[in-house]
Amino acid sequence: MNKMQKILMLIMVLLFPGCQKEKITFSDNASEVFFVENAGAAMRVMVQGNTASKTFILIIHGGPGVGAYFYDTKYIRQNIGDKFALVYWDQRNAGASQGTNNGGNLHLDQMVEDLKKVIEVLKFRYGSDMSLFLMGHSFGGLIAADFVSRSDYQNMIQGLINVDGSHNYPLNDTLTREKMLSVGQYEVSQNRNIDKWQPIINYCLVHKGNFSFEESQQLETYSADAEDLMDSVIHVNYVKKVLEYAVTDKYPLSAMLSNLLYSEDSNFNKELAVTQFSSTLYKVKIPVLLLWGKYDFTCPSALGEDFYNRISSTDKKMVISPVSGHVMFLQDKEFFCKQIDAFVEAHR
Amino acid sequence: MIKTGIFILTFLGCTLCQAQNDSIGNISDFKYNLKLAYLSTLIYPGASIGIEFPLQKLNSGMGEIHKKNRSIYKSRLISGNLNWYHHPDFHDNLYVTAEWVMRRTNSNGFISEFSVGPGFSRTFLGGTTYRINESGDVSIVSLAGYNYALLTIGYGLGIDFSVKKKMPYSAVAKMNLISMVPYNSIVYIRPVLEIGLRYSPWKCKTRSTNE
Repeated sequence: MNKMQKILMLIMVLLFPGCQKEKITFSDNASEVFFVENAGAAMRVMVQGNTASKTFILIIHGGPGVGAYFYDTKYIRQNIGDKFALVYWDQRNAGASQGTNNGGNLHLDQMVEDLKKVIEVLKFRYGSDMSLFLMGHSFGGLIAADFVSRSDYQNMIQGLINVDGSHNYPLNDTLTREKMLSVGQYEVSQNRNIDKWQPIINYCLVHKGNFSFEESQQLETYSADAEDLMDSVIHVNYVKKVLEYAVTDKYPLSAMLSNLLYSEDSNFNKELAVTQFSSTLYKVKIPVLLLWGKYDFTCPSALGEDFYNRISSTDKKMVISPVSGHVMFLQDKEFFCKQIDAFVEAHR
Repeated sequence: MIKTGIFILTFLGCTLCQAQNDSIGNISDFKYNLKLAYLSTLIYPGASIGIEFPLQKLNSGMGEIHKKNRSIYKSRLISGNLNWYHHPDFHDNLYVTAEWVMRRTNSNGFISEFSVGPGFSRTFLGGTTYRINESGDVSIVSLAGYNYALLTIGYGLGIDFSVKKKMPYSAVAKMNLISMVPYNSIVYIRPVLEIGLRYSPWKCKTRSTNE
């Protein structure tokens, strides 16, 4: 080993393992980050809150590519994290997850396997006697639906919380179109935002079914516009949210943006557009809580009803927030936290 | 850990300085600048050390332009840099760069410069990293992180104190954009602000010889 190699080795040994030391905390206010490496991706997992409770809620974020940072808010920390531990998992190619040339592994099967490994690492760190709940939001609902449709996998968890999740993309598109059409026509009849509703209504009238990928994407775009047009829904200023948390939560902003752009533009989305788990949901037997926003056009509440009706769970409940759209954890946080708290407390 | 990083980079900088001692017997034949800088990516700390060599003689009058009685000295340099930043819970990034530098210095000592060059990055993940094999056994990956090809491009402004105050230093603030590939099959771009000092020992020697 020459001098330069020795110096480099010295740097690595002294400098970097310092931030890679294993830190496992059991307290009512834990905060720790670790990574799970699988199939070319190192996925960030942040655990916050009451780890001493031995009850963990693993959040499966939406997107794909959005990252778990946005789910970590002060209110949720204070109103769920005080009793249970919250686990924020950045899926591959999302948030602070890292890797090299790993885009070929960006597909649903791989993400379900990633989730399984994250759960195994959680149990390795915090003990296999832990109570674990999954909370899937939006696209995260698809991963969750796939996961719990596998009998041997659903046994790893105590319950599922589905928040505005999509388990059936083709059905999702159909329901989004129906909801935008019916609500839009009603709003126009009430002389509200006519000029903004009309293009949405026209699009829905022209595109009636068997949606192409491009049509599916356009419906998704219109669904966000439609939610913005509703006065009854609580609107979220996302830029303000990012500015509020970017420094304190150490957002790697450019990495988050790179990951989001890659995931949004990936061919993976074409695969998702035809994916559905309605036909396998009968396998689900664990307790399930469904939380939906009344004004969610992106994943309409009828999607939740389909999920509710198809699962075999005897312990299941669906509740709808009257002021929420697609992001209940930001739009109706009090309702969101109370429902989750009650469900987890009852089944831990 | 940050202190350890700064210590090691300073130590390396000193080693580099000492390594050059024997080779600068005739300073007028071998000119170089040493750089020590604080590296910051928004609020995250880091450090940078480097050495730069002029590709053309600065005291030859090369590139001198007379415009409105003001002289502008243009120089072309090549620099080698060892850089590090620490982004908690994300990664530490240790990267080396070789940069082509185009610098202009006016008669007041005001510097503006543009640089571009390739590099190599090794990241170290910001937390314990676990791997699970097929049989479900969990292990910890030591020194977990990734290697990336890197491209840096930067623009800086500063003051060369040797022009007016006869001190062999210059202070430069430079904004670099580093791009790392293939980062999750895409490019990762990160702005890095560098604020530091450059020491030009040959300027002292030349000056004292002239005097």
